[in-house]
Amino acid sequence: MLYDKIKTIYPQLTIADFAPATGTIMLQNDSDGKGDYIAKWEHPTFPRPTDEELA
Amino acid sequence: MASIITATVASGLTQSADNSGVLQLASGTGNLVTVPSVTGTAMVSGNMPAFSAFGNVSYSITTGVDTKVRFETERFDTANCFDSTTNYRFTPNVAGYYQINYIGRFQATSPTIAYVMLYKNGSMYIVGNQIMGIASGTNFDLPASDLVYMNGTTDYLEVYINVGGTSILVNDNGTTTFVSSFSGYLARAA
Repeated sequence: MLYDKIKTIYPQLTIADFAPATGTIMLQNDSDGKGDYIAKWEHPTFPRPTDEELA
Repeated sequence: MASIITATVASGLTQSADNSGVLQLASGTGNLVTVPSVTGTAMVSGNMPAFSAFGNVSYSITTGVDTKVRFETERFDTANCFDSTTNYRFTPNVAGYYQINYIGRFQATSPTIAYVMLYKNGSMYIVGNQIMGIASGTNFDLPASDLVYMNGTTDYLEVYINVGGTSILVNDNGTTTFVSSFSGYLARAA
């Protein structure tokens, strides 16, 4: 799962980092069969993981 | 005073005029409607969209992910503005202000926090409700409501949910009463 993969890369992240509206990372799933994806990544310290890291 | 156009059984259509600048319509005697002195389309129940849908097919979602809630069953949809098969969204065909109500029903193992959100045109419009301290493995309903302007052509609304925890299930299989729900109606035309 995307969330778990990101947490593996950055174990320091907490659920607050993914909180709607206030978090700096937004994961989204549009229930269209395409699965979870990163809708927003604005974390001040950690760079957005690459596709290779998330594969 | 007013200028009045009246329809009666005895006389058919009659009219009386004055210089008040006010127009009234009468069906029979004593049933007056004053035409408002504003520009717009007269709204009657037949052209004011209203819908109600629910989701009672459970499915798994991932912790920390804003996930669209599926509403597969319509209780009613007066103007065919709700998509209950593909996108689970409300796209009203009359511009105006809509009263929107929604409930996200879920359960999870060791849940930490949960949010239910209204999305407008694919982006978060508002976090309608959030809760912490939820019992593990218990179905929970997270209700919210709002008044939202819709342009009557391209604007659409969807409901998303975000739950922290494991083994998260949205909706509740089988029942038609304990469900995620999504409903709305035109409260005021634009």
